[in-house]
Amino acid sequence: MAKEIIMPKFGFTQEESEIMEWLHSEGDSVEKGDPIAVVSTDKISMEVEAPETGTLSGIRYQIGEIVPVTEIIAYILQPGERLPEIKGIEKLSKIESPKVKKDQILITPIAKKLADENSLDIDAIKGTGPQGKITKTDVENSLALQRNFEPGKERATPAARKIGREKQIDLSKVSGSGPKGRIQAEDMKQQRSKRIDEKSVGKTIKTSIPMIGMRRTIAQNMKHSWNDAPHMTLQINIPMDELEILREELNSAKQSTAEKISLTALITKAVAVVIRRSPIINSQYTEKEIKILDQINIGIATALEDGLIVPVVHHADKKDIKQISDEIKDLSLRSKEGKLEPIDLTNATFTISNLGMYGIDSFMAIINPPQSAILAVGKMTKFFVPAENNLPMIQKIISFTLSADHRVMDGAQAAKFLSDLKEIILDPKGLID
Amino acid sequence: MREISYMEALREGLRQSMEKDDRVFLIGEDIGIYGGAFGVSAGLLDQFGPERIIDTPISEAGIAGACVGASVTGMRPVGEMQFSDFVVLAMEQIVMQGAKMRFMFGGKAELPFVIRLAGGSGTGAAAQHSESLENWFVHVPGLKVVMPSSPYDAKGLLLSAIEENNPVMFFEHKLLYKMKGDVPEEMYTIPIGKSKIVREGKDLTVIATSIMVPRSLEAAKILSKEGIELEVIDPRTLKPLDEEPIIKSVIKTGKALVVHEAVKTGGFGGEISAMIMESEAFDFLDAPVRRLAGLDVPIPYNRNLEYHAVPQVENIVEEARKIVQNIY
Repeated sequence: MAKEIIMPKFGFTQEESEIMEWLHSEGDSVEKGDPIAVVSTDKISMEVEAPETGTLSGIRYQIGEIVPVTEIIAYILQPGERLPEIKGIEKLSKIESPKVKKDQILITPIAKKLADENSLDIDAIKGTGPQGKITKTDVENSLALQRNFEPGKERATPAARKIGREKQIDLSKVSGSGPKGRIQAEDMKQQRSKRIDEKSVGKTIKTSIPMIGMRRTIAQNMKHSWNDAPHMTLQINIPMDELEILREELNSAKQSTAEKISLTALITKAVAVVIRRSPIINSQYTEKEIKILDQINIGIATALEDGLIVPVVHHADKKDIKQISDEIKDLSLRSKEGKLEPIDLTNATFTISNLGMYGIDSFMAIINPPQSAILAVGKMTKFFVPAENNLPMIQKIISFTLSADHRVMDGAQAAKFLSDLKEIILDPKGLID
Repeated sequence: MREISYMEALREGLRQSMEKDDRVFLIGEDIGIYGGAFGVSAGLLDQFGPERIIDTPISEAGIAGACVGASVTGMRPVGEMQFSDFVVLAMEQIVMQGAKMRFMFGGKAELPFVIRLAGGSGTGAAAQHSESLENWFVHVPGLKVVMPSSPYDAKGLLLSAIEENNPVMFFEHKLLYKMKGDVPEEMYTIPIGKSKIVREGKDLTVIATSIMVPRSLEAAKILSKEGIELEVIDPRTLKPLDEEPIIKSVIKTGKALVVHEAVKTGGFGGEISAMIMESEAFDFLDAPVRRLAGLDVPIPYNRNLEYHAVPQVENIVEEARKIVQNIY
């Protein structure tokens, strides 16, 4: 019987993967264990291996398609074997692998079925049912909206079309606010004023970046966070001189850069220690409760060429400064090579984002859900400040900005965290025990 | 101005026409001693005598035939269909003869007759006494179709209809007979083929006929509190239709709803909708033109079912709201 190749599940919460590349074509002979496809989860690329030796056949998804985990993506055939009838298999696989319900997205069964059949991303659908439940009509509307983009087949009222003709607005570029995405006259008027804005700054599209993979994940997470979590931001300037002295002491004996303790490592350690005193910072918001977490896992936001990943230092409060520094270096190296494993990227409970190396003085970061807070670190700058005798002295100062979810905590709690952080950075001996 | 009922306005129009022009006479069932099934002609027998207020046997074909024949000889008869439903029996005379004679005689014959018909549901009179059949006659070349919705329009249009040299089907509504309104005592005419904007608004053009005009105005009052302003137009004459005010209004609002009591399928709403879409208003439509009309059923005897078989104020409110909010 034809051997099914299924989309593997790499992580606990992973629901789908995108086909990035087929390493073999249909008809190729493959050996058991050969990598046959590259797939991408939200964060990293993985290889799918041949489950058996034979001929690769019946590829069911093309590059760029997003496939739910455990879904059959292709088959391995032995000589004389035939592909199973796709229809039957589809039904079977549906029964065997009911897809995991997305977090907090309510959807009726018929709507879910319809969305699945049309590979529609339910994240992007706005539910109109009770508690925002996505109904069949919502899915249908969403599908109609997609169809709206068929050039020349846009759904539009005669009034909208008239404006389009007169003002030379391409209907395919307008998103409709009417039923099933129908373009109304008002939409055209808005589009027109938008277009005038664009014209005035000479804006034209140079290239288009498809919203897939990591870009899509970032977009969704940030949108959810920004829409759902009321962000409050608090800023504090902390003199870093004492921490710098400590770092020099720690590094004085070390020769190579590889061994040296980084400032990021020290800040990570300081944050982990301070979180122990303010457990509310290390929590997750849900509709029913705030979960204060036991583990302190610090994510370090890391820029990539075309996106952003957040490798995690697990149990940062329990590790010494050397361990943390080594771990961050290792994660950073592997992230640049694309060799991070799912475990490296999961279960962060708090995130640090440092843009100091770009010369940024201070900034406000968006909380990475389901976390409750994120710390934005600016660059170290020398300032003249009045010393005790009121004469100027130089201090190296970093501006720290905490974004915290106001549903979870209040200003005073966030302030306490920052003032504790300042205290430990001013007197950092406690960081080396 | 003096307030009288729709029924009184009609009676006054008939009386004044008969006083002014002795070619005018009334013919119908029980219109004399009894004063008409709804009392429109009450008292006229005493004033004008049985020569001019003619009670007939129960024969609608006879009434219509007499109107056709008398009119072609120069009289100005006003026939009454006690219930508009009974006009089925008079179709041969009205449609085959009355409507066509002028054309078949190369314009040499004039047929200045009026058929008054009491139409509409809401009285518990069941399937054979509650129909709204105006659109049958809209479909016949040679007939004019008039449908007043207020006492003022009733008198003014009736006087015009009697002065008209072609057959006029004059549809009254049973529930409107008691409606009161300002009516001048003197004779006045409202031209046939002139519509009326009965309420101005910016959000939706409602084209309503007969009893649906007051119901639409009621709905407009309710919606106004929500910030939705209906423009209500009463065509008053279905044929010939005064198209321009409707087109202008739809160009202004971008949306149109036709409301009538007659069943939707094959009803006048289809004609209005098509007219709008064929006109220059098409380019200004920002929603589909909708029709709110009677259900495709004979009017039920059960009063609750009868109520739900034709548009009521709440239905107009709901439908108008949906159109304005782009639900359709």
